[in-house]
Amino acid sequence: MKKFLWFILPIISVCILWELVSRSGFVNPALFPPPSKVAIALWEMIISGTVFYDFRDSLWRLVVGLTLGSVIGICTGLVTGRIKSIAKAINPIIQILRPLPPVAIIPLIIVWFGIDDGAKIFSIAFAVFFPVWIGAYIGAQQIPQTFLWSARLFALSRFKMFREVIFPASLPFIISGIRTAIAIGFVMVFVSELSGASSGIGYRISISSLSYRIDEMIAALVVLGTLGAVTDQLFVLATRRIFPWLTLSQK
Amino acid sequence: MNQITVKNLNVSYKNHSALENVSFEVSKGEFVAIVGKSGSGKSSLLHALANFIPYQGEVSLSGNIGMVFQNYAAFPWLTVSENIAFGLKGDTKDNCAMVNEHLKLAELEDKADAYPDELSGGQVQRVAIARSLAHNTDVLLMDEPYGALDAYTRDKMQKWLLDVWTTHKKTVIFVTHNIEEALFLADRVLVLHPTGFTKEFIVPFPRPRNPEIKFTEEFNQLRKEIYGAI
Repeated sequence: MKKFLWFILPIISVCILWELVSRSGFVNPALFPPPSKVAIALWEMIISGTVFYDFRDSLWRLVVGLTLGSVIGICTGLVTGRIKSIAKAINPIIQILRPLPPVAIIPLIIVWFGIDDGAKIFSIAFAVFFPVWIGAYIGAQQIPQTFLWSARLFALSRFKMFREVIFPASLPFIISGIRTAIAIGFVMVFVSELSGASSGIGYRISISSLSYRIDEMIAALVVLGTLGAVTDQLFVLATRRIFPWLTLSQK
Repeated sequence: MNQITVKNLNVSYKNHSALENVSFEVSKGEFVAIVGKSGSGKSSLLHALANFIPYQGEVSLSGNIGMVFQNYAAFPWLTVSENIAFGLKGDTKDNCAMVNEHLKLAELEDKADAYPDELSGGQVQRVAIARSLAHNTDVLLMDEPYGALDAYTRDKMQKWLLDVWTTHKKTVIFVTHNIEEALFLADRVLVLHPTGFTKEFIVPFPRPRNPEIKFTEEFNQLRKEIYGAI
């Protein structure tokens, strides 16, 4: 109960302050609608069902893009973290691509993939790849030598060594990389849906902006933010459930 | 019959020499303790025997090697029984029986599903030793396995290791800083310097050994001699 109060009280306080500022006359309520109006807009979106369709489409793009980017990021990170010759060949390419703002490549992706889901998923996967790669890369490099030596005595194949030792030993870093990637993934969902989309939360914000419905825009942003926070927490819960030893190690 | 023969072993890291011209032999089923100052090359010697690091010289070692480290002795992502089963090949049913047998040996039957981070330091070391034995190890290399344990747990673990060794008669090379531990456990104590073994002490105490021998005059005298040699 105490935990819930600590969670809900700051949100309620911000809403009250926001409502007061919006109704104070110091700001234009059309540009800065109060939360009560945003709540009504959100309710209308729920009743009409648009929020569910947008939510579903954005989530689908995020999950596929996040999964693709994470899997490729983990595999590449572990391999480049442990095999020097492969790292020498691949790391320069990654280091050149890594500083590029993922948003900057969207026009190019649209040229290559068109405006279908494929383009959006690719741009999300591209953006997600780098934080996951760096997590897995650092994780694979910091594995205590004794783990690797112990495993070597059991004559594991290279594949088994990666699956049974290097991957679990790097997990804390990989998980931290994926958590960063989830946040970046949401940015990319939003940005990729701003142009060339006919559904999704980004698309909803974009058309609300065109029709000057600031309350709808803020409602869609609230949905996007909530979805991001819930996804992150669900990910943390899932990792604790699947890898209970991680919580013990942190203690 | 010698299980391990080492001739003129040299180990160097970048521009400093960790071991120079080290030679020794260990018989099958023998328990040898190696003592020495920090930086005398004790761990490097074990790492070279296990072929973990490059070396020059001749190392002849017959049979499977198992190694127990002071830290990260067991994989934290596997339960106790999974750690013992790690790397076992062959029939699942046989492996299951093997794991149960070694859980019993490690006195951890009630902790089979626990993770290493839920165990005490001594219990984790027992998991690591049981895992090595489950792989039918012929030579057990132990690198200060009890270095991080408190005095009481260390004494208990020494007694447990002696019981296990008496039953399984594996060849053991036990590296330690603790002279008392080396004397209590081993048949022979070797004093290591980076330039080779400077002295060898044959431990005269009969087996099975009782911890009471640590309080005898003979034990104390030998301890002083080894201390002087280090």
